[in-house]
Amino acid sequence: MSDFECRLRKYRQLLEMTQEELAQRVGVRRETIMRLEKAQYNPSLKLAVDISRVVDVPIEEIFIFK
Amino acid sequence: MKKMNKKRMIIPGVICVILMAVSSWYSVTYNDSRLVAPMKFSEYVFQMKDLPMIISGIFLAAYILYLLVLLMIAIMKNKSEEKESAVTREISPKRGLFGFCGFFGFMGFWTYGVNKTVFPFVFFLFFGFFGLFYEGKMSNTFKDERYRENQMKARLTADKIALNIIFAAVLVLGQGGLMGNLEYSLIAIIIIVALSIALNVFLGSYLLYHYDQDELLDESGE
Repeated sequence: MSDFECRLRKYRQLLEMTQEELAQRVGVRRETIMRLEKAQYNPSLKLAVDISRVVDVPIEEIFIFK
Repeated sequence: MKKMNKKRMIIPGVICVILMAVSSWYSVTYNDSRLVAPMKFSEYVFQMKDLPMIISGIFLAAYILYLLVLLMIAIMKNKSEEKESAVTREISPKRGLFGFCGFFGFMGFWTYGVNKTVFPFVFFLFFGFFGLFYEGKMSNTFKDERYRENQMKARLTADKIALNIIFAAVLVLGQGGLMGNLEYSLIAIIIIVALSIALNVFLGSYLLYHYDQDELLDESGE
């Protein structure tokens, strides 16, 4: 289904952050973070930037498009 | 509803009822029940004694218009509040039971046979209320970007399906009378349009729930 790989789970767990905490910080639902981590949801540029700022990792290292 | 709003609705209504009661009493007592008892309006000639009934009638009409305006304002306010709100509205999934009112549509076959009335077929629209079951299940859901995207996708799919059905029906029924009878064509059109609108309303909620919730069952959590 997805044409990209998402490494968000790895970086989130490095920060010992839960899906719920990350969701609250970027203004989405936990289900959205869950889908993102499974690469089942293609985020908007704004959400991708917000996530990258929260986990402090460049976007291109979190979302890898094939 | 706020206390002030209730007052704004009830007080003019009470005034109208009092005016109507007084003018009816006046008409029955001093004006031969003109404009109270049934009469032929084609033969109506104005008399000064009719004035109280006419004035109370105008007040009543103005009050009904006022209520309609208040209703429209309330609907528009609710819609804009819902649009601006960060979460979905809270409704009970039990409201989906109103969908069963759609079965009243079948009364149309009986009323058409009795006195050619086709209006009850319109009740098929109520099948759309089954969608409230899914909308209720998604009460108080935070409307994030994925929700809004799914909502748009669900609406587009529902609109497309309903429009395709109506398009096909118009194309087929527009060829001429169904079974050689134009009335049957009218009935078929009413049923198909009512069912298509109901399907559109239902699918809008069902597909949104489906897009939002599927695959959540196998969620891994943390």
